[in-house]
Parts: sequence; structure tokens; C-alpha cells
Amino acid sequence: MKKREWIVFIFLILAILVLVIVNLFSGSSDVSINQMLDILASHNTNDSLGVIVWQIRMPRMIESAFLGGALALSGYLLQSFFANPIAGPYVLGISSGAKLFVAILMVCSYKMMFNMSSLMMVAASFIGSCLAAMLVIVISKKVKNMAILIVCGVMIGYVCSAATELLVAFADDSNIVNLHNWSMGSFAAASWKNVEIIIPVVLIGLVMSVLLSKGTSVYLFGESYAMSVGMNIKRFRLFLILVSSLLSAIVTAYAGPISFVGIAVPHVIRTVSKTSNVKAMICLSFLGGMATCLMCDLIARCMFAPMELSVSTITAVFGAPVVVVMLLKKKNSHQRVDK
Amino acid sequence: MSEIITRELSVGYDKKIIIGKIGLEVKAGKIVVLIGPNGAGKSTILKTIAGFLKPVGGAVYFDGKSSEDIGLQDRAKLVASMMTSGFGAEYMTVSDVVAGGRYPYTGLLGKLSSEDEKEIKKALSIVGASEHKDREFNKLSDGQKQRVLLARAIAQKSKFMILDEPTSFLDIGYKLSFIEILKDLATKENIGIIMSLHELEMAAKVADTVVCIADDGKIDKIGNPKDVFKNQYIEQLFNVKPGLLKETYCFEKIENPIAQVKAKLENKKAHFLMVQGTMSSAGKSLVVAGLCRIFMQDGYRVAPFKSQNMALNSFITEEGLEMGRAQVMQAEAAGVKPSVYMNPILLKPTSDSGSQIIVNGKVRGNMRARDYFEYKTELVPDILAAVDRLQQQADIIVIEGAGSPAEINLKSNDIVNMGMAAMVDAPVLLVGDIDRGGVFAQLLGTIELLDKEERQRVKGLIVNKFRGDKTILDPGLEMLEKRGGIPIAGVVPYMRLALEDEDSLSEKFDRNDKAPISIGVIKLPHIANFTDFDAFEQIPDIGIHYITGTGDVDAMDMIIIPGSKNTISDMVWLKESGIESEVIKYSSSGRPVMGICGGYQMLGKKIRDPLGVENGGEINGLGLLPVETVLTNRKYRSQVIGTVVNPTGILSKLSGKRYEGYEIHMGETKPIEGNLPEYTSNGSGYCSGNVWGTYVHGIFDSADIVTGIVEILAKEKNIDVNLSNVTDYKALKEKEYDRLADTMREYMDMELIYQIMGMEDGKAKSV
Repeated sequence: MKKREWIVFIFLILAILVLVIVNLFSGSSDVSINQMLDILASHNTNDSLGVIVWQIRMPRMIESAFLGGALALSGYLLQSFFANPIAGPYVLGISSGAKLFVAILMVCSYKMMFNMSSLMMVAASFIGSCLAAMLVIVISKKVKNMAILIVCGVMIGYVCSAATELLVAFADDSNIVNLHNWSMGSFAAASWKNVEIIIPVVLIGLVMSVLLSKGTSVYLFGESYAMSVGMNIKRFRLFLILVSSLLSAIVTAYAGPISFVGIAVPHVIRTVSKTSNVKAMICLSFLGGMATCLMCDLIARCMFAPMELSVSTITAVFGAPVVVVMLLKKKNSHQRVDK
Repeated sequence: MSEIITRELSVGYDKKIIIGKIGLEVKAGKIVVLIGPNGAGKSTILKTIAGFLKPVGGAVYFDGKSSEDIGLQDRAKLVASMMTSGFGAEYMTVSDVVAGGRYPYTGLLGKLSSEDEKEIKKALSIVGASEHKDREFNKLSDGQKQRVLLARAIAQKSKFMILDEPTSFLDIGYKLSFIEILKDLATKENIGIIMSLHELEMAAKVADTVVCIADDGKIDKIGNPKDVFKNQYIEQLFNVKPGLLKETYCFEKIENPIAQVKAKLENKKAHFLMVQGTMSSAGKSLVVAGLCRIFMQDGYRVAPFKSQNMALNSFITEEGLEMGRAQVMQAEAAGVKPSVYMNPILLKPTSDSGSQIIVNGKVRGNMRARDYFEYKTELVPDILAAVDRLQQQADIIVIEGAGSPAEINLKSNDIVNMGMAAMVDAPVLLVGDIDRGGVFAQLLGTIELLDKEERQRVKGLIVNKFRGDKTILDPGLEMLEKRGGIPIAGVVPYMRLALEDEDSLSEKFDRNDKAPISIGVIKLPHIANFTDFDAFEQIPDIGIHYITGTGDVDAMDMIIIPGSKNTISDMVWLKESGIESEVIKYSSSGRPVMGICGGYQMLGKKIRDPLGVENGGEINGLGLLPVETVLTNRKYRSQVIGTVVNPTGILSKLSGKRYEGYEIHMGETKPIEGNLPEYTSNGSGYCSGNVWGTYVHGIFDSADIVTGIVEILAKEKNIDVNLSNVTDYKALKEKEYDRLADTMREYMDMELIYQIMGMEDGKAKSV
């Protein structure tokens, strides 16, 4: 890695450490440093403070960190796939596709009286995001203009959201609250049980991304270039889309759709580290996503405590301006167009 | 030895062939360049060879192995390609880009080994971009980007390289240095290169082999640069207006403008005689016609020739090609079929100061007079080729000059007068026009203005259009011979002949526009046997209108659909152009429609082509006659003499008239209604009401039939027409040619003429 990449890397690690600490201490109950050290050392879950730290704050923190990383990584892969810096799972409608399928699963589980397991949720979410991704790919074959592609993605998102709303309308009262909260994007439902699934899935996605990095670095230069050096384009594209769908699916399954992290984080990372090195980008985007979601979740739950905002609200506040600036910058420079 | 070979390769998208039957060969160390107009399919070929597209047919072989049997990474080690101009992700450095070329060699995670680093370094130094290696690729200039992309291809260490327009968008400096790098790669690294180039001067500089791809989906030519880069060929390949290319590119050295055309006819076989005049309208055309007839009468095969005609009204041959009328008349005098080779260049003045250039009957383009003057030398090969074609079938070729050979401002690179005579080494007869006065000055002045060499070509003088007492002229002739040192070959009296020539014909056309009776001939795209309608032209009150679009049909007094060389496609044209519905409407109001040969087939209900003689399939005809045509492989070709029997409709009065003509067609037409009246013999023609169809060409050449039709049309219109001197057109012309020949024999020294042609025994062969 180059010097700049190292600087960004170290900064992100430090930021994550700081955010982890702040996250642990923030919340409705004040915890002193001594108490905290005590709780962490003793692994004591007998008193309420121990429960708060170990059962609520800790899993939520880990979940938001890993899901944030997954989201940013998914965005980076999609940006590479579409050769388009404003691609991301949320704007392309992939998150909404996942959301729709999870909603269907939720309603079905209630109607048909079966218990929804976490794996089922992940699977439904994965199927939903894959379908939405395929749809976007089909559209991208027809339109080469990236703005139109994004508009199409947004439209897909709206259609899926509308369908989800429809499902909510038919669901029973008890479900609605749950479904509604979830569909806004939130880490509130975090638990150790979820973390046990999230960490391996996200790590699988991360490893796969690294394995795809050789191809990605060639693919960044366009299809004909990649074909010229002997890459199997079709296979590569399939893997890339599966991995990015998996990553955004896991996020949606556990936290609902979260906007802008997928677009903004890789972009900010790229801009500050000034690199195109795929492996560095994968690593830094992941860390950046972690830091961002830790921060956003912190703000979401503490800003108007005890009321909690949806994470998407916060990520939008930070992410949207980044995207606007990016669009303004891009307007004057060349777009990649494959012949 | 390494090579890429394509066999029967067809390339295209989605199974649609853009270019088929490609047979290319790229050898190690050689550079093959594809040139051709935009959209011709150069990139498609390159993409297919590079493996980006699957061949639609055939295969690409690398060192004898079909590309389909080679894995992607192995192929990448064999061939590197550079298809698009540079773009890259943000912040990608030059070495990142070049490192991409090592893809087939690196491991799972793409970590570069020290050898990879070495190759990258070497590639960068070959293209001279070492100092930029850490710069961001996107911030380089286009020229530097192309070099870096080339370095990437070099780093791939492949045996072959495929480049698609690598020098487009580069300034001339980068273009040249890029081309030099490629040349070095070929010679020093022994890499085989195939690429497309738009810059022809670059292609000419770098190519070992040039592949020319025309925009009709064909490989037009594969050759070395010397053969391909000729202005004329390149203009043709890129559809450039003739002469325009020279302003920008010039592949051939322009010859010294005052120099003469140096090309000569090789293996001269025929005897040549050239007739030049002291001025326009000195009577050259008729002298040539008379000479043609005389030689024909003497038992020789004769062909007239004039390298270049300037005329508004051209003649259209049986093949549908355009040529000057004068040579048609001379060909008739010579008793041979007119051919475009008798007049390879035809200039048709257009509205502005330029002309349309027609070469061998086909339009080359429009040119201003000054441009043509520059361009014409490039037509010399066409002229010589035409002469050569003629001499295969002629013992004597009589060449007509144009204007005067002494236009000293226009003499450089002459191709019509003395230049032409030099090309075929022909003796020249100089014709002066006594009718317009000053004949001695004309002849002597002209000779005086010729070069010594040219003067030696003039072997005889002719005083033309003489009237009155020859004895008064004789002393002048003696002095003329003495002063000019050239014998008098004849004094030809003024004659009035009923023969067409360029000028009178144009008058006739003008008059025809206002003629009281109009006959519309549909000008089919593949019209054949145009001459069928010549007979009408001798009648002042008849106007022949060639119909090319809608709106004209209704105003005609009769519609004739002529023969076609491709009936089915012309039928399609008839439908598409909307003329079909106009003709059907026209006919349904009872007005007369006639079809000759292909036109006859079109009148029927259906034309079927089960054997694919033309395009295959079947097509509905106009449906005006209840007949059906089946095209067959057999060609019917026969001379026919017959009598018209009971035609229906207004032509019923033609019954009993004799006709003489010929049939030539592929296909049989049969009535599908039992009692359809047959009016020309042997099933060659059927009619129904005012619709007649026949296979007989030349049916109008019979005076009886032509006057009959005209009389009927006139009567229908209630007008009088003057038919007093309509004779059998052919017979009349034959008679006139004979009269011309007889007169010229009488007044000219034919012995001298044979002698100057180098045929001392000429007379002996005469009958």
C-alpha cells in the first residue's frame, strides 16, 4: 500500500476505536469508566448495566460496524461493475428489492404460522437483491447513460417500496409496527444471535471481494481491455454481482435498507486516499463503512434520546451532500463509455 | 512460423453477417492494415479475431489452432488487443494500467512478481513513457494515453497485436511516433500486427499488406500498399468525388503538367486510324461513320472509338450503360453493336460550370472543368483498357478526336486528340470544314501549332462539306500539299443525311417535350434494350418520356413497360415507387399499356422464380394480363419474324402488320385463362383489352407498326400527325450509311488511307 493509503487506514482504525468507546458509553444510562472496565472485565450480565452493555450496546455496535462495512463494500463492487461512481445498493433499488422479499417473508410467516429464522431472512433478502440487481443489469445493457441507469434504479426502488407498503396494509397490527420500523432502516433489533450470522456472512463477502480484486482491477478499464488480457468476463460479472448482492442482502435482512453509505463511503475513501488499487479500496471502504455506520447509529440513537431516529435519516444527511458534490464534479469530466 | 489465419470467416453481430468469406493472414513480424469507409466492418473483423465476438461462420486459427480451442488466458498470451482509446478509473497510475497486461501471468490475487515488474518497465521504455510511470493515467494527453495502452499490450508479451484505429485523435507528431513504435515492434520483437487505420498516409507508411474493406460488406482488395494507394482506387473505395482526393492526399507523383501522357497500348493488335478536326463540327463524326462503313464493306471487323465525349444526351446500351450517341451511330455504320468501350468517358454538363463524369458507362461523380483537367490523366488506364477490349473483336479501330488538336492551352496531358493518337500510335487524318470558310488556314494553322512529333502523325488532310466545282479548289489543294507536306486524302462533298448525331438529337429531345402525343416509358432501374423506343423518335409529334417517379403516368397517351435485366427486383421497385398503382389506375380507365419482355412479365398476375434465377421467390405482377411467368434457367434467344394477329382494344387495326425483332429472355409466360387472345406468334404475346404484352424486342422498328400505333393514338386524341416520311427506321439508316460510304469512296483516296494505316494490301481484301 502507498503512503496515503496507510494514513487513511490508520485514521480509520483510530476512528473506529474512538467510536467503539463512545458507543459503549453513550445511551440512556450513564456508565462511568471504572464501571465500564469492570463490566468488560467481568463479563457480568447480572446487573442492569452489564445487561445494557453486553446485551444491547455491544451487539448493536458490532452489527452496525459489520453491516456498515458490508454496505460500503457492496457499493464499491457495484460501482466497479457499472463503471459508475454513483452506483450503490440503495440507489439502484437492490436494497428495496431485498426489503420487499423480506417483507413478503414476514407476512407469510405470520399468515402461515411458522417461525421465521434468521437464515430464512437472509435468504429472502439475498434472492430479492439478486433479482433487483439482475433487473438493473438488464436495463444497463440498454442504457449506457449512467444518469438514466440511476433513475431506473430509483424507480425500481420505488416500485419495491410501494409493493412493500401494500403488504404492510394487509398485515396485522402487531406486524405493522415491526415491519414499519424495520423498513426504515435501524440497528435497534441487534442481538448476539444476529451477530453470529452477520459476521461470517460479511467475512465471506469480504474474502470473495479480495479474491475478485485481480479481475476488478482489470475490469475497471473497460470490458474490451479486460477481454484483451484474457479475463472471463461473464463469470467475473456473475461473481461480482452475487457478492455485492449478498453483502447488501445481509444488511437489509438485519437492518433494513440504509441509504447513501454504499455510494458515499467508497467515493470519499477514493478521494482522500487517491488510489485505484482494488485491494486497498476494498479494505478501506470496508473500514470506512464500519466507521460511518458506527457514527450514524450513535447519532441516530443519542441525538433525540430517548427517541430514536432511523439510521437512514442520518446517513442521508451525511451521504447526500457527498453525492451531490460528486455529481457536480463529474459533470465536467469524461464518463466511461464502453464502445 | 507464427501466423493468424482466417478461413471463410464471417463476422457480424447476433448471427447477422456484416462481412463474409474473410481470408486474412497475419504473419509474425508483419503489419496488416485494414482500411475502408466508416461502418464497413473493420472493427467487427478485429473484434472477432481478438475473440471479443464469436465468428458467425468460419474460424480464426492461431498457429493452426482454431481460436475456439484456445483458453482465454492462453489466447491472451497469443494476442493482445487495443480496442478503445484510453479511459480509466480515477487515480489509476500509468504503471497500474500497464500492469494489467500481466493479468494472464499473475496468480490468484494478481500480485506482480519481479519478472512482471521487469516486463512493465521494459514495455514503458519501448513506448518512451518511463518517466510518466507514476502519473495518473487520466491526466495524460491522448497521445501519451495511446502509448501507455500500447505499453500494456506489449507487457502482455503476446505474439500478435490487434489495434483498432490506434492513431485516431492523435496529433501528427504522436501519430508518426506511434507508427514508428509499431514498426519497431514488428521488426525487432517479431510481433505480427493487424490493425485498422483511418489515416491512409499512415497506412501507406506502415503496412506490409493492406486489406481494403468496401462498405458493401466485401473485402474489395488485399494487396501491398503500392497497389492499393492509388488516388483512383482510394476514391472509389471511400466514395470520394473524383479528383477531390488529390487536394488532400497524393499517393502518386503528379506528372509534370506539360508532359504528355506516357502510357501506351500494349500488344497492339488492330489497325488504328484517327480522324481529328480543325474545329468542332468539322464533320468528324460522319467521316468516321463513313470510314467504318467502307471498312465493313471491305470485309473488316470495325469498331469506332472516341475516348471522351461531351454531350447532354447519352445513349443507353443493352447493358443499361451510358455512352455518347455519335459512337452508337458509327457502330451502326460499322455493323456492330454499340458498346461503352467505344466511348469510355462521357461528360454530361450539369447546370453549373461542371460535368458529370461517366466512365465505362457508370457515373464517377461530378467535377468542375478545372478539376477534371487535373483528373483526366487518371482515366488513361480506363481508356487503354477500353481500346484493348475493342481490339479483341476488331481489325480496324477508327478513332474520332474531339474539337481541335491545336488548343494549345489545353494540350498538356491530352487524352482525346494527339495524346490519344500517341497512346495507340495511330495515324491521323485531319478534317477541315470548307463550308465555314478558311479551310486552308484551318488545316495549315492547325499543323503549324502541332509539335514536330504530332505533325508527323498527320498522314492525310480532308476537306469536308465541299459544294460546287472542285476544279476551282484544285490549285489551292496543290499548294496546301506543298506547304503542309501532307497529302490530301479527300475532298468530301456536303451531304444531307437522315442520321442522328449528338446535336440534332438534343434538338429532337427538346421538341419532344412539347409533342402532342406522349408515350411514357417506365425507366426501370435495370432497364434493358432501351433501343426499342428509338423508332418513335423519328416522328416529330411523338414525345418519349422516361418515367422515374409518380405523377407523370396520368399525362401519357400510352404507357410502355420496357424489358428488364432483373424483373423481380424491378417489379419490387415498381411497387415501392408507387408507379405500380398509378399504372393500374391508368389502365383501369381503359388507356393503353404495353409491356415488352420483362415489362410483359410484369403485366401478368405473378412472376415466380423457383430456381432462384434472379432472387428467388415469387412476386405479384401488375395483374393487368391474366398470365403467369415462371423464370427458368434456359435463355430463350432468337430472331423472330411474324405478323400481328387480331390484337384487342384500340390496337386492333394493327392486325396483319409484319414485325421483325428478337426474343431474349429467361422464363416462360403462359396465360392462366384459356381464351386469352394471342397476337404475336408462338405464344410470345398476349393481350386483353387495351393491355398488350410481348416478348418481341424491336417490334416498333417496323414502320407499319410504329405508324399504326401513332395513328391510333392520334385518332384517339383527335389530332393530326405527320407520318409522311416515316420509314422503316433501320432500313432507312442502313441506306444512309451506304450512301455516305459510296460518296466517300468516290471522293477519297482509300488506297492512301489503307496505306497510311499500314495495310498496303487493304484493297485486295475488298470484295
